[in-house]
Amino acid sequence: MSDDKTVMKAWTRAQSRLGRRQAMPVVLLGLAISAVAVGQVWCIATVLACVLVPGGMPVVAWPLAGLVGLAVARAGLQAASDTLAARAGMKGRARLRGGVIEAIMRGGPGLLRQHHTGELTALAVDRIEALDGFFARWLPASVLWVAAPLVIGVLAAFVQPGSALIMAVCGLAVPFGQALFGIGAAVASRNQFLAMTRLQARFLDRVRGIATIVLSGRTEDETRRLAASAEELRLRTMKVLRVAFLSSASIDCAMVVALVLIALRNGAHLMDLHEQGVPAAIMAGQVARGLFVVLVVPEFFAPFRSLALAYQDRAHASGAASAMRILPDDATPARVGGQAVCDMTGGVAVAFEHVSFAWDAARGMAVDDVSFSVPAGQTLLLCGASGSGKSTIIELLLGFIQPASGRITFNGVDMTTLAPEALVAMTSWIGQKPVLFAGTLRENILFARPDATQAQLDAAVAAAAAGDFVASLPHGLDTFIGEGGFGLSGGQAQRVAIARAFLKDAPLVVLDEPSAHLDPDTEADVFESLRRLAARRTVILATHSSAVAGFEGQRIDLAQGHVVTSGETVS
Amino acid sequence: MKSSQTRELNRQAQREGVLAPVGRILQIWQRRAPLLTAGALLSLLALIIGLVLMREAGIRVAAMTMGMIVVTTGALRIFGSARVILRYAERLVAHDAMFRALADVRVWFFRHLARGAAAGLGFRRAGDLLSRLVSDVETLDGLYLRIILPLAGACLVLPFLFIAINMVSSMLAVVVCALFACGAFVLPLCAAMLGRREGGLVNHEAAQLRVGVLDMVGGLREIATFGAEGRMLDHVRDRDAALYRAQMKQARMLALAGAASYLCGQAAVVAVLAAALGLGLPRIPPLQAAAVLFLTVAAFESIGGLTRAGALAGNITRAAARVVAVGDLPGHAPPEGTQPAPAGTDIRFEQVSFRWDEARAPVLDHLDLSIPAGQRIAVMGPSGAGKSTLAALLLKVVGPQAGRITLGGEDIATIRDEAMRERIAWLSQATHLFTDTIRANLLLGRPDATEADLWAALEQARVADVVRELPDGLDSWLGEGGASVSGGQGRRLALARVLLSHAPILILDEPATGLDAQTEREFLLTLNEVTQGRTVILIVHRLTGVEKLDQAWRIVGGKTVAATA
Repeated sequence: MSDDKTVMKAWTRAQSRLGRRQAMPVVLLGLAISAVAVGQVWCIATVLACVLVPGGMPVVAWPLAGLVGLAVARAGLQAASDTLAARAGMKGRARLRGGVIEAIMRGGPGLLRQHHTGELTALAVDRIEALDGFFARWLPASVLWVAAPLVIGVLAAFVQPGSALIMAVCGLAVPFGQALFGIGAAVASRNQFLAMTRLQARFLDRVRGIATIVLSGRTEDETRRLAASAEELRLRTMKVLRVAFLSSASIDCAMVVALVLIALRNGAHLMDLHEQGVPAAIMAGQVARGLFVVLVVPEFFAPFRSLALAYQDRAHASGAASAMRILPDDATPARVGGQAVCDMTGGVAVAFEHVSFAWDAARGMAVDDVSFSVPAGQTLLLCGASGSGKSTIIELLLGFIQPASGRITFNGVDMTTLAPEALVAMTSWIGQKPVLFAGTLRENILFARPDATQAQLDAAVAAAAAGDFVASLPHGLDTFIGEGGFGLSGGQAQRVAIARAFLKDAPLVVLDEPSAHLDPDTEADVFESLRRLAARRTVILATHSSAVAGFEGQRIDLAQGHVVTSGETVS
Repeated sequence: MKSSQTRELNRQAQREGVLAPVGRILQIWQRRAPLLTAGALLSLLALIIGLVLMREAGIRVAAMTMGMIVVTTGALRIFGSARVILRYAERLVAHDAMFRALADVRVWFFRHLARGAAAGLGFRRAGDLLSRLVSDVETLDGLYLRIILPLAGACLVLPFLFIAINMVSSMLAVVVCALFACGAFVLPLCAAMLGRREGGLVNHEAAQLRVGVLDMVGGLREIATFGAEGRMLDHVRDRDAALYRAQMKQARMLALAGAASYLCGQAAVVAVLAAALGLGLPRIPPLQAAAVLFLTVAAFESIGGLTRAGALAGNITRAAARVVAVGDLPGHAPPEGTQPAPAGTDIRFEQVSFRWDEARAPVLDHLDLSIPAGQRIAVMGPSGAGKSTLAALLLKVVGPQAGRITLGGEDIATIRDEAMRERIAWLSQATHLFTDTIRANLLLGRPDATEADLWAALEQARVADVVRELPDGLDSWLGEGGASVSGGQGRRLALARVLLSHAPILILDEPATGLDAQTEREFLLTLNEVTQGRTVILIVHRLTGVEKLDQAWRIVGGKTVAATA
């Protein structure tokens, strides 16, 4: 736990350092605004003194003109400061999001075994959006709350050192209040973030399975549970807010005390002067000074209030820091890979040599001492019930995971020494449910090879026997397809995946139960296309289906990660 | 597909510029009206007392400087502490009311989504929905805290300000109140009109980014196999940059709006001081000048945030529109029934016709089918023939366009949806496993099942061995979509959930998916035993011969044809 805290503190400190450069102009503008505010107060105090002490000063227009000028200047400075603060927030988020997205890419498919896509998306999008305030508000405020009152206090000290001292003492009392309440806010807010993430993950999951909930007749039950989560969220939010409001109330208190003390001091002083009957001119000067120090008090405390408002933004940062820890750190290389290239002109031969792998030590080996070899251009069928280790072998082949022991070779070259690009160039993969990206069908197929020509694209579509269904779509290849391929049936989605594989034209084709979600008629059609794809290529096909007719080659039966039997199939 | 997309866009377009969604949200908040009103009243009270006290403070400070009164600590202390305490209480009550109301919106959202969800989520993406609940619902807090409360305050302050200043100088009252109206109403309205587009753009770009990231994360395997890391990173970065561009545009507008609002307040201060000096405006007495000055400053302080809020109003109405849009029922949804389900479970389809889309051929065409209680039937046919549509009709996900369906002699259109679904347990091709423990997933089928019941169901679904081997057994956590078990095992867990249910009617869509031939036969034999006395509708592609069937039907051309088992 204390280790967690050190990591989080270090992260927050590093972010502060990185963000401070962008925050500097905002801080300078903030100081300029404070200086202008002092000028405004001086103008107002002068006008009031002139009015309140008849005959004390000649009625002049300069303070009024000055006030107008200063107000315009302040409005301009404020607008510039707001814009620069927004830019600082943007820069900070852009840097962080870039890092998170790259880290997710580096983590690769392995991340999906441990984390929800919703969790990762929320981290990359919402978590980082929530950090806007940290860079735009908290970082400037954390400097300004010391610097701005200092500027105002020093200027006030030239007018009335005693009153400036009172302000300073009351101002110093504020950090104590902040420390007292601020820590509470940080703690309460970490819990609030946990509740928040839980609610988000729960909601996305429930939304995905909402048909299951509705049709099991459990809508009311689940709604009640959601209501309970929402209620928990409210309680936690209120806990944070109560502390935040108390903290700003403590600032108000300090300000009122300063106001009262300064007013009393000046009241007594002016009373004395009245009794002494000093000339109006001197009197007016004293009144102007007195009014100035009273009216400047709210300006003196304004930066404290900004800090209190921004305190929640800081809490967001600690929340984000702990969430970021699920990502692989910078030290993890993208994929274990060397520089070796492998000559693919004669096709690719694949061999497993005593390969073992375990997802989780407690559950035993997922793949245990598996050996086989597939000559170039041949087919290997991996058979076995679900959970027998077929998918793990496929993920090993694709390099998503690395064997715990043993080695995998391509044309005799150890996979770990291959350059990642060489491995990518060698393999096509078709899984159970292809992911279709938001975009047109054309973009989805071109995903395999963005620089393909129209002729190559048409050839791939034809080879995948996708021409008929593409023609039936309202906009053909330019039809928009959504997340999870809404609008496309399982068989059609699989044809898109096959078209991708044709377009890529890699010598090794890895098929992971490509017909698991298809009915027998569609399955037969899809296998027909797959056989065309398999021609002259090395194929590794994991399946539990009997509809593998037409794929001839070695067959390996797996059970609980072991090879049970191996032999030849001929159909 | 195209038509549903355009329909969704049209629906959104219709909503633009209409206050209807905001009205709908307020309707949802009706239950919290007393609390929300209390928050508003408290905040108005705090505002008025604040104004009175500031005016008082102005007079006191002025009198003090003139040597007219001795300021007592007591008066000032009361002035200060009353403001501090009222402000704290007001903020606490208003925020609490707001968050209660927001929790209501969350629940309302989920319930309405559930009503329309069974027919498929269509083009609404899961990621978009997440953003709807989390961001849009939270955006709605601005409606009450940043728009309704300050506007109500401004409406109260304006006459108060006029009356108070009018006692001193009518001319000044008109000038100050005109500036106040400008800052409280005119500027926010202008900002709202200008900000509409920017707000929409920011929302749109944020949603685009979320979809891009979701695609990237979900497609990590595809990206790795096609070596598309660089392309995908560029794609997401482009969307990220587009979001920042939109946000910067909005930030610049907000900064200008803030400056304009500040200048309004300063103009009023200058006007008051000019009147005090007698420059350009009728001269006012010094004591009153101080009072009016303090009052004016406090009044403008209370509306300081309105212009910014106005600029963000577009965001809020849009968020409201998107939240409310979930409440629209999809076209296919049958009307909600009111009757309880009858005791009998004979099912009859009488001349039922149904088509998913008017442009397409009917899936079912005057179909007749009778399934007496306790019968075991199979429905076969190529995919797309309407096998799953039968289940959808029975579960009241969709309603027939012609004909009627009866359960125990009652038209199911009159039966409550929930009651209907309690009678039927359904295993679909897309049954979802929740990110939760195996136990919680199973209990969805029957919340009161005992440990023994759970294991029995797991045995029947041929998955007990797998669960037993997991380190935490029934309490093992299933990852996303059941990722820590394989696809076939996941489906068998879903089957166990269905078998656990007490429902008298079971609809099993390809229950043997993921089983090898031997296990499939064993499973079907067990199924024959465990479903004694219950109606079983098997939706299958082919028969193995061990199913003990009373009838077997094939759907051809939207009609049922008897099939030889």
